[in-house]
Amino acid sequence: MGDNNDPYATPQHTIHLDSYSIDLFEVTNEEFAKQLPQHSFWKGAGPHPVTDITWLEAQSYCLKVGKRLPTEMEWEKAARGGDARLYPWGNKRPRKKAHSFYSGLIKRRIGLNKKDISPYGVRDMAGSVWEWTASEVEGKKITRGGLWNFHLEYEFSKTFDRNLVPSSSKFPFLGFRCAR
Amino acid sequence: MRTLEKLSRRLFLERGFWATTLIFWSWFRGSSNAEELHTYKGTDFIGKTREGEYENFYINFWKPMRRINGQTWRLKITGLCDAPQSFTLEQFKSFTATTQSSRMKCVECWSARTQWSGFSINELEKLVRPQPEAKGVLFHCGDKYKEYLSREALNQDRVLLAHSMNGQPLSDAHGFPLRLIAPSKYGYKNPKAILEMEYVSEHQYGTWSKIGPYSPDGTILPGTDHPLEFNKEPRRISGGEITDY
Repeated sequence: MGDNNDPYATPQHTIHLDSYSIDLFEVTNEEFAKQLPQHSFWKGAGPHPVTDITWLEAQSYCLKVGKRLPTEMEWEKAARGGDARLYPWGNKRPRKKAHSFYSGLIKRRIGLNKKDISPYGVRDMAGSVWEWTASEVEGKKITRGGLWNFHLEYEFSKTFDRNLVPSSSKFPFLGFRCAR
Repeated sequence: MRTLEKLSRRLFLERGFWATTLIFWSWFRGSSNAEELHTYKGTDFIGKTREGEYENFYINFWKPMRRINGQTWRLKITGLCDAPQSFTLEQFKSFTATTQSSRMKCVECWSARTQWSGFSINELEKLVRPQPEAKGVLFHCGDKYKEYLSREALNQDRVLLAHSMNGQPLSDAHGFPLRLIAPSKYGYKNPKAILEMEYVSEHQYGTWSKIGPYSPDGTILPGTDHPLEFNKEPRRISGGEITDY
């Protein structure tokens, strides 16, 4: 886990996890609305990852379907495999910029990017949206993931990148997937 | 791409026009100081600058604009509200005031923190009474800039209609007499030198979102920030309002 060259993820270290399962895809608007019918979304956005939800709403969804949010260790293991790779697909930086020079977020159908696949077949862990995890530091929840976005100097998210977000926040770039 | 090229040409011509106007204005005023031309000092205009005191808080405008006279300025509230009306700057002083420190994060990568004072849009809405079908506000600004924010976004905590900065009335460069402060959004969603707020029933595109690669939503995304007061040293940000520094 982690990376010695990234001050936000240092030190790099090895962990051992008990077996667990994690969803291959992020939860979509359609799936979320089935469990929480008050959730609304734009026409055509049903297969897009659900966003603008709090940590509690994400956790509530997971519990309703008999699952839970993954810990950040589980999330990173699922994205990174056992060889400490930089990206889910390996160490090679993507050549093409997905949406260069666009300041915002472009959401797409989950699993659309065939290259964004981890050693375990988990999809969209470098792109798509950031994801809530069950883990917490300094009173904030740890989010993991990345965006379909390369705005200016923003780098494609690596497997060890992490952010801290207050659990009550809702953002258009923040969704989740479940584990059990 | 074709559209962008056309727009670039148009922008070039428009900026050329304004630059020429400024040269003649400076000449008319008897000023030959080149620095004044670039910084708008000594002119009746204000526009984009990063010089002098603005090295630590860059100034962006859509177009150079004539400075606003606070005595004659009125904020017009129009559109879908039951009591459309105009307000003077003096009237806003009776509104419940809020002061907050927040960081302005520009989509160009830089950011700067300062203290803003103003009032919540709720104070204004008590008087103008937006209609139920009013979903958002289109801001019309002195520099011809337009920006739209939903009422939901405008009624978030820490969103202010600001008239003061660091305890002083806003300077022309920072958007005198009134500007919006929405700390979880990029700077282009913080319109300044506001002349009119129009309540509308549907989402509208702001100036930049309409012509360029600026997201209509404008929420600050996770990534890297380069704060001016820290010599642009890169810092990780998690998205939304920057509260860590």
